[in-house]
Amino acid sequence: MSVFISLLKKELRTSFYSPIAYVVMFFFWALTGGNFYWLLGQLSHGESLTLSTQLMFSGPIITFVLPFVIPLITMRLFAEERKLGTLEALLTTSVQIPQLVLAKFFGALIFFVILLLPSIVYVSVLSHLTPGELVGFPDYGALKSGVLGVLLVGSLYVSVGLFMSSLTSNQIVAAIGGFAVLFGSLMGMMYMAYTSQSSSVRVVGQFYSSFAHMMDFARGIVDSKIVVMYLANVAWFLFATVRVVESKRV
Amino acid sequence: MIKVSGVTKRFPARLAVDDVSFEVGRGEIVGFLGPNGAGKTTTMRMLTGYLPMNSGTIEVAGYDIAKHPQEVRRRIGYLPESCPLYPEMRVDEYLKFRASLKGVKISARRAKINEVKEQCGLTEVGKRIIGQLSKGFRQRVGLADSLVHDPDLLVLDEPTVGLDPFQIRQVRELITQLAERHTILLSTHILQEVEAICERILIISDGKIVASDTEENLHRKLHACSIIEMEILADQERAVERVGQMPGLDVRTANELADGWLWLEIEADSASMRVELYNMAVAEGWALRELSEQQHSLEDTFVQMTRKKGEA
Repeated sequence: MSVFISLLKKELRTSFYSPIAYVVMFFFWALTGGNFYWLLGQLSHGESLTLSTQLMFSGPIITFVLPFVIPLITMRLFAEERKLGTLEALLTTSVQIPQLVLAKFFGALIFFVILLLPSIVYVSVLSHLTPGELVGFPDYGALKSGVLGVLLVGSLYVSVGLFMSSLTSNQIVAAIGGFAVLFGSLMGMMYMAYTSQSSSVRVVGQFYSSFAHMMDFARGIVDSKIVVMYLANVAWFLFATVRVVESKRV
Repeated sequence: MIKVSGVTKRFPARLAVDDVSFEVGRGEIVGFLGPNGAGKTTTMRMLTGYLPMNSGTIEVAGYDIAKHPQEVRRRIGYLPESCPLYPEMRVDEYLKFRASLKGVKISARRAKINEVKEQCGLTEVGKRIIGQLSKGFRQRVGLADSLVHDPDLLVLDEPTVGLDPFQIRQVRELITQLAERHTILLSTHILQEVEAICERILIISDGKIVASDTEENLHRKLHACSIIEMEILADQERAVERVGQMPGLDVRTANELADGWLWLEIEADSASMRVELYNMAVAEGWALRELSEQQHSLEDTFVQMTRKKGEA
């Protein structure tokens, strides 16, 4: 356990050593800040306040930005260790591969949570700015489930990015591979879910479309089937990463 | 301390290590010598449990690496080739991180880190960022890391590669000091290095161990073995037969020169067999116009040993 904590601490620390972290923070916060500004505009034009969580956690900005932002966070994880040769140094101590994979996964996820913090603060700020007589606002249930939704989608994306990073020693390849898989599947699933002629294809698309899930979560709808789907897929990608690291050492 | 028996490692394209067996006793400093690509790094990676082997067994301090990898890793301090470090970390931070991974108790960590820093001459640079250190200092950080959990065995993969002569000397001195308390297996392709540091030498070529002996013995053998060139006026068959009968002499080549003289290249087990050859020539009544001896250096033998296998 202490080995895991050391690894996790190291991951968090190195994620703030890299200049990429600050570039990512800048753009993500600029975009979510812009999103908030736009949300305020919508509200001042008479949109219902209950929409605020949806606009913050399932709006187009967060939906389409995540497939680009998360590979930038995860590209470094294994690719850099391979390039530096430090993977060999790690795996010849008492570190177990699953420990290492989990530490990297949670390290990246915590960094992602830090990216999300301002958005959560924005919604809370909104509740202080609005007079108390508004019924049903802020909707903490929807806020919580919206955050849960973004976290689930984020974990899945982090696990995919981690997997891509374990395949190569080139960070650029890891990042572009991550974009391709995440953005491709996002668009593919949206296409299947909303425009397919066949109803069975639509059902499959809706089951896997993270866009649809984030909308549901932000409305306060938590479907345990979907939660399990995300957790299972995260587990699968982490397992695949462990196997890749085990077999691809040279 | 180390017992390697019948270890083979196959990569998809080639056989990297072929049925290698050797032993290293407690307290020894053993040099693992071989040309680039001979299988040194692969062997060391298997020894430290980084790469699995295809067949054979490796025991370190009595623990089989396939069955008790953790026990083995706890006893090995490993400095991988090219000394990988995190360039963005500070020296103290890195050593602390590594100590925690290697299971050094929190209470003992600070003292242990200070001890290895002092041993490796890093006390002054604890707060420096690793990426800004010179190659020599980085190598010392790598060495300090390999020592931090007080291992019985140090496995150092080309510890002086890429250093300037002054740094090389410093690192060698450091290794010699470490040898007082640790068993050391050290790989290199530089001959002077094993001559300077090691007690025993293992020569690996093309994935096979081609020689294993103490430095003294190897030296004696190598320096003893010499090539004698001789030019005589004699019947070729008779001369080859007579020289071959002498103990410790072996005719390698015999050529009749254009002017009718016979040129012999003779391998001698021990030095100074020239007097015997001279006496023989006198006794046989051969005219003699050339008798010269070439000493074998360690380098020649190394080149010969490793090339022979390469060409076969």
